[in-house]
Amino acid sequence: MATVNGYQANTGMSATGGPSSKQSVAPPKTVDSQSVLKRLQSELMALMMSGESGISAFPEEDNIFCWKGTIVGSKETVFEGTEYKLSLSFPNDYPFKAPKVKFETSCFHPNVDVYGNICLDILQDKWSSAYDVRTILLSIQSLLGEPNISSPLNTQAAQLWGNQEEYRKMVLKLCKPSSA
Amino acid sequence: MEEPSPSVCNLRILDSLSHDSVLAIVQSYNAFCSIVDSLLSGTEDHSVAAEFVPHVHVLCEHGLDSFVCERLFKSLEEAFEKNGALRFWRHFDAYSNVAVLQKSGTHADDELQQVLCAALDEISLVKNYHENCLSMLVDALHSYKEDLPEGRYNLDAERKRLLSRYQLMVSSTLMATLPRQFPEILHWYFKGRLEELSTLMEGEPNVEDGSQDKDDMDVDEKAKLAYKNSEMHVDESYLQGKLTQNNELVKNIGKVVRSLGSLGLTSMAEDAYASAIFLLLKDKVHDLAGDDYRASVLGSVKGWIQAVPLQFLHALLAYLGDNTSYDYPSPGLKSPLAYHPLSRCDGTNISSEGLVRWKLRLEYFAYETLQDLRIAKLFEIIVDYPDSSPAIEDLKQCLEYTGQHSKLVDSFISALRYRLLTAGASTNDILHQYVSTIKALRTIDPAGVFLEAVGEPIREYLRGRKDTIKCIVTMLTDGTGGNPNGSGIAGDSLLEELNRDEEGQENTGADDDFHTDERQAWINAACWEPDPVEADPLKGSRNQRKVDILGMIVGIIGSKDQLVNEYRVMLAEKLLNKTDYDIDSEIRTLELLKIHFGESSMQRCEIMLNDLIDSKRTNQNIKATIQQSRTGPEPQDSELSLDMLNATIISSNFWPQFQDETLNVPEPIDQLLSDYAKRFHEIKTPRKLLWKKNLGAVKLELQFEDRAMQLTVTPLHAAIIMQFQDQTSWTSKKLAAAVGIPVDVLNRRMNFWTSKGVLSETLGTNSGDHVFTLVESVIEGSRNGGNGRGREDLLIGDEEGEHSVASVEDQIRKEMTIYEKFIMGMLTNFSSMPLDRIHNTLKMFCVADPTYDKSLQQLQSFLSGLVSEEKLEMRDGMYALKK
Repeated sequence: MATVNGYQANTGMSATGGPSSKQSVAPPKTVDSQSVLKRLQSELMALMMSGESGISAFPEEDNIFCWKGTIVGSKETVFEGTEYKLSLSFPNDYPFKAPKVKFETSCFHPNVDVYGNICLDILQDKWSSAYDVRTILLSIQSLLGEPNISSPLNTQAAQLWGNQEEYRKMVLKLCKPSSA
Repeated sequence: MEEPSPSVCNLRILDSLSHDSVLAIVQSYNAFCSIVDSLLSGTEDHSVAAEFVPHVHVLCEHGLDSFVCERLFKSLEEAFEKNGALRFWRHFDAYSNVAVLQKSGTHADDELQQVLCAALDEISLVKNYHENCLSMLVDALHSYKEDLPEGRYNLDAERKRLLSRYQLMVSSTLMATLPRQFPEILHWYFKGRLEELSTLMEGEPNVEDGSQDKDDMDVDEKAKLAYKNSEMHVDESYLQGKLTQNNELVKNIGKVVRSLGSLGLTSMAEDAYASAIFLLLKDKVHDLAGDDYRASVLGSVKGWIQAVPLQFLHALLAYLGDNTSYDYPSPGLKSPLAYHPLSRCDGTNISSEGLVRWKLRLEYFAYETLQDLRIAKLFEIIVDYPDSSPAIEDLKQCLEYTGQHSKLVDSFISALRYRLLTAGASTNDILHQYVSTIKALRTIDPAGVFLEAVGEPIREYLRGRKDTIKCIVTMLTDGTGGNPNGSGIAGDSLLEELNRDEEGQENTGADDDFHTDERQAWINAACWEPDPVEADPLKGSRNQRKVDILGMIVGIIGSKDQLVNEYRVMLAEKLLNKTDYDIDSEIRTLELLKIHFGESSMQRCEIMLNDLIDSKRTNQNIKATIQQSRTGPEPQDSELSLDMLNATIISSNFWPQFQDETLNVPEPIDQLLSDYAKRFHEIKTPRKLLWKKNLGAVKLELQFEDRAMQLTVTPLHAAIIMQFQDQTSWTSKKLAAAVGIPVDVLNRRMNFWTSKGVLSETLGTNSGDHVFTLVESVIEGSRNGGNGRGREDLLIGDEEGEHSVASVEDQIRKEMTIYEKFIMGMLTNFSSMPLDRIHNTLKMFCVADPTYDKSLQQLQSFLSGLVSEEKLEMRDGMYALKK
């Protein structure tokens, strides 16, 4: 599994106090939903206030466990200016388990399959309760620009990655219908 | 002469007649006719009666008595038409245009009076004469019938029958020939007489007023007293003269009325004097009421009714009653209703149903007139409400009588719309008027039903004003109505209302405590009254509608939270600017507000006040440590001891947010502050003192070459002027850097000192750079000197935008920026959303501090603000990000 570069830079900022220290002491299996709610609400608040450009997420109509996310490809990558929709679904024992994150719009990327599944370590075995929505989104954003070619889900994309110009054209071609 | 045959039965008699008797009849008839004609033409006098009788007898013998009567009546009618009616009307030919003549004044008035009297006399004479003729015939008939053996003839009945027939004939003749202007002439006449009478009557109490102190005695009583006095002493002869003059006048009028009555013009005469009386009454009411609302006029109007029109009517009715009996119910017929009030008021025993009816009519008319007058001016009356309460009281009584409350509501609302609820009126004025309206209408209508209707447009309008809450809070907390120029109505604050309520009803204040013990419930039940019919059943029961000024004021805003919040900001401002710890009045206000809005909502304010109290104590403790530590060696800089420093230590969580401004205070002061903070830390470990250097107040004394000034200013102003201590001239850039504030802020603040004449401003070498120079002596300064010599100005925070506490609007704006981020977030992920979904989503997810508590309308206006900032766009009711 690849380690994502952007993630290192973010760890310092992502420590949201309480929960992380709590987890290190004793990870309780049964978490009352109230605290999950609180956690998600405060994450939402933090995300809204951070004003990070290029990433965004918001709960769906009446369910705070299901969010929709938006990522815009970073500058100076082949994904620059393209917008991707994601869905985030949080488990009941969040943040002790990672949320399920999928691309809703098709994304031509070595680590994303045709169904939108993402291969990212922090969403699987490297998950920590110190991560939050914001760091997840940032990680995915940086994954776009720096894929892990060694274990691709989309081999065609992995092969094309070497030719950045062609890749860019491919991204734009695939992206057009969704953004229109 | 061929006689016309009046009836069938007579014709049969004619058949049986002999030639002789026909001849006799013809002879007698001719003689009769000639006598009648000569009688009526006035050539013969009544001496012909003797000749007249036998002829009548002859005719009667032949059963032609009814024929004789007809003939006489025919002649009478012709004669009356010619001699009576025609001549009578001819008198008034000159008055065909009454309106023009009326303007020509008293001369015409007198003339008319004379003409009318003469004409009436004349026609009465004619009528009397005719009546005599008639009675001659009756006598003749009578004497004939008496001769008959079987004659049981009712003389009186016959006479009455003939007279009333004649009466009918007279009035129908007159009516048939009535000129158009006659009613007007009559009206004019009565008006003139009544005015005369009125002035005569008014002369009376004036004499009395001299001897009695003009106190505010009830006018009815006064009139009574005056009446008694006139009976007893003073210049009796004079009054006697007056009274007889009055009687004379009334007698004249009575005579005219009676003459008119006898001519069958009774109803016309009544109409005329009734309308004259009403007109006079109306004038009187207008005259008395005028535009002065400081005195009650109802009493004097009533007194006047009693003194003039009723006296007049009384005299008139008495006169007519004495002399004639056919028009009015006899004076002896006293109604039980009439007896009591009239005998008391008039002081005489003659009272009739007619008079009572007149009194009621007149009073109702007076009430209605006054009411209309007052309603039309209700706006002005309420403007000077506390002074105009007598007028309000009058109006209340009038309305009780007439019941035309809806008239008041309609008229007042339109006046409000037109005069108050306009862009030009300041919110303060509107609020004051609202409060006055509440107070005034509370008198008129304690149930508050009409107030509800009247208040609604005001409330509606005030809700649209931004500064409403601020004004209300200012009105609540101090008496000046938040008007620094002092043009507001001082002393009319809501504070007194708070006081009043505190004494009165503690259980009607807020909506939360609704406990009524049984006794109270019983009392309420006992004094229950039905609502006025106009009450809107949807508006709940009377108890809930109880007029509560504060409740109604808070009702404008909608929620007390907003009000409390605004109050907190205002309180913070006030407390921060205090240079002593004297907060007694604030404590009192807070206690009162607590009663009204509940302890919990005022909790933060209470903590703020407690902070002040604590600060005072802490301050003293710290000062005490200085006393101990001062061991002697260092009073070198005696001017800057800690004694001069008073700290207000606040629990910032409970205070409103402060405007954060950096500020470099001068070095010695800074030293002092940190010294103070150190001592604080020593006493209160582990707590540390964090200075908000831009808040508070500084007392300054500025010493110049030729003058000294004492001022209380903000720390920023003080810091600025301190810089001039060492260097008398600064450019704005350098000064801003020294003080540690942006240049534009500095320039704004400099106005204060330049306007005081302390600094002068010149344009610097660089564009946009100003040079400020200290004005050392007054003469030197080109600006107005002597402006503030030795004067202590308290000029804190009254300049626009200088408030140290973030205002409520700022807070709202700040809150809204959080919402803006949420809105942006959700629209990024959901591309487009309708208003209500945004609203619901915010409600659901924006729950942390600050919780989303805005209404749909507020959100909408906020969103449209974002649209106009081109951050959002709206299409088909859906909001989306602007790309």
